[in-house]
Amino acid sequence: MQTQLSRRSLLKLTGLAGLGAAAAGCSSGPPSGAASWAMWSSSPAERKVWEDFSAYVERELKIKSVPNLTPSSGYPTKLDLQLVSGTASLVTALNGTLIPTYAARGAHRPLDDLITQDPDFDLGDFYQPIRTISTFNEQTYGIGFDVAPTVLYYNKTLLQKQGIALPSRTEPMTWAAFRDLAKELTRPPDQYGFSCAPAIDDLVSWIYCAGGNVMNADATRSALNAPEAMEAIQFVVDLFVKDKVTPPIANLVTESSLSNFLEGNVAFMQNGPWQVVNVRKAKFDWDIVPFPAGAAGSTPRVSGSSFAIPAKVRGDDLELAWKLLKTLTSKGALDIYARAGRNNPARLSAGSAFKPPPDNLGIVQDILAGKVAGGHPFDVTTNWNQVKQLLGQDLPRTFLGQVTVKEAIDGLTPRLDVLMEQHQDNIRQASARKG
Amino acid sequence: MAVDTLPATTAAAAPHQRPAGARKSRNREALTAWLFILPSLIGFLIFTAGPVLAAGVISLLNWNLFSSPTWAGLKNFARLGPDPTFWSALGNTAYFTFVSVPVTILVSLALALLLNEGVRRIAVFRSLLLLPYATITVAVAFVWIWLYIPHDGLVNAVLGLVGIDGPAWLISDGWAMPALIAMSVWKSFGFGMVVFLAGLQAIPQQLYEAAKVDGSNAVQTFRNVTLPMLSPALFFVVVTSIIGSFQVFDQALIMTNGGPGSRTTTLVMYIYRTGFENYDQGYAAAQSLVLFGFIVVITAAQFLLQRRLVHYDN
Repeated sequence: MQTQLSRRSLLKLTGLAGLGAAAAGCSSGPPSGAASWAMWSSSPAERKVWEDFSAYVERELKIKSVPNLTPSSGYPTKLDLQLVSGTASLVTALNGTLIPTYAARGAHRPLDDLITQDPDFDLGDFYQPIRTISTFNEQTYGIGFDVAPTVLYYNKTLLQKQGIALPSRTEPMTWAAFRDLAKELTRPPDQYGFSCAPAIDDLVSWIYCAGGNVMNADATRSALNAPEAMEAIQFVVDLFVKDKVTPPIANLVTESSLSNFLEGNVAFMQNGPWQVVNVRKAKFDWDIVPFPAGAAGSTPRVSGSSFAIPAKVRGDDLELAWKLLKTLTSKGALDIYARAGRNNPARLSAGSAFKPPPDNLGIVQDILAGKVAGGHPFDVTTNWNQVKQLLGQDLPRTFLGQVTVKEAIDGLTPRLDVLMEQHQDNIRQASARKG
Repeated sequence: MAVDTLPATTAAAAPHQRPAGARKSRNREALTAWLFILPSLIGFLIFTAGPVLAAGVISLLNWNLFSSPTWAGLKNFARLGPDPTFWSALGNTAYFTFVSVPVTILVSLALALLLNEGVRRIAVFRSLLLLPYATITVAVAFVWIWLYIPHDGLVNAVLGLVGIDGPAWLISDGWAMPALIAMSVWKSFGFGMVVFLAGLQAIPQQLYEAAKVDGSNAVQTFRNVTLPMLSPALFFVVVTSIIGSFQVFDQALIMTNGGPGSRTTTLVMYIYRTGFENYDQGYAAAQSLVLFGFIVVITAAQFLLQRRLVHYDN
């Protein structure tokens, strides 16, 4: 049977369909009364962990849990838009490097009042570095869920094949010893001694180990032109340009130390324990050791991530948000996270769940506890994105041998000083808001 | 006749007055027309005109997205002058535009002329050549990253066959921008080619026959017949290509992230970073308006030139 549809009816139906589509497309944010939380997730394995978290939240809080998962590359942009439009989740995950950025702009609220009023919550069970990372302007803005120092991965199979003694689990190599070893293990184009990203995120570990920093102690001026920082940058650049112990850089955007290491022909890789879950896929034997020690010892970057509460969450929602945040960072939840091998949990009491392989995985907690080597919380500013952009523009050219370290640092120092002044302005504005 | 009996005033007024039925019908037609353009109009107002107006207002504010904005007046515009990154990004964008647009048009026109020469299975070739344009830029950019790999990439492998040691394209100071331009030309020539092909097929054959009778050779025919008759299509492609090139973003972000140094940082990339990574919405809006101004001026100049250079058949 044929159905006749008049032009008028067709227009009406089209209009209704359009309205329906528009209504469906307009999000009014997470459902009211549900425990909504935002997190980055870029793989099915990661998604599984957060689904387990979600089930744990529902069991503990007896309410519906709504995890808003977004691939990590798009997470900050989506979070920004949700924060601005008032549709953000009750609790949002934040990478530690962005906590001062959001805190200084009033996007998230300080948690000190909630912590003080809650006798059940023990901030002392969290590693000190993640507490430092989650603090801005002397106020706590996040509760950590993971924290870890940068370590040195090594290809055990390759070292054993070359008859080289395996590096110590407890005693970090000196830079000189590391460089010699990297050179000895380099046989281009088939084999290389070392791989790291030609970017500030990796470079800071060397700078900290040399006793330097990106900015001075009160973050008022650039400190990259200080002798310690210059020495560190020159050392790493020499590994690339002079000693050529690293695989050739083909593209600055897609360069990945992990991919290089997983090829099986790179002896050492600088990375965090958050990559353990990926390196477990390697077809060779490997392990981790403390980061090579410079003049200031083995004090590489310590990074972490936290959960925080957006500033617009108030009233009953705030009470629920705090309960949710406590649950997401509880020992039970962090045990799930650590058991899945994602990263070292931020709570001391959950540490035992982050288990080998590799054999030396325990050094992560030993480093954080100050028993082995050391670490340096990642010092960032309230405009870290801008600082990273500036350093990301000029520093990689030194790794390519296009400019010398001195030329690059001399060129970027005045601009970095301007960014430090902006950072100070941001702090002043945040302090004024704090009253 | 009945008309003779009408009063003079009525007879004079008759042509200006429409019967009520005709007026009603005309109103219905107008209403129908408005209903048809309404979806597009609403979309234009919400997604184009609205943001442009909003950018105008935001450019006068200090706004970090999260806290309340404060009045900045024209300070955001004053910041543009001493900002070297803005001028460098503008220079890079101009370089990209003024090289990529002519090359794209030449390639598009050459291919359209070839296809117009009675190629068999023209539809197949047209579809194949249009494929790069129909493919999303992100996917194309990743493929080209592989092509440009210094040691094992296809581009340098081919150059190696003729004894040329190709550069490290995407990390080279001098070659990063030409590499982006080459990729962009490949990606976008299909659009111009289809427009030119349609234009070529609309040129009356009599004009070619007349030119032949007059004894004009191929170059003369192209110059005096094809090019003038194709000028409206050429004008359309030039205008849209220049506007599109000034807004170049995705390929630079994916393939070079603006590097090495800031050699491939384009204006839209800088605007995006200022607004959404540095949370400086006011300054980003000021930059957007300046870019908008550049595009308006260049497009207006093209429209002025059009009167002299573009030949319309009617």
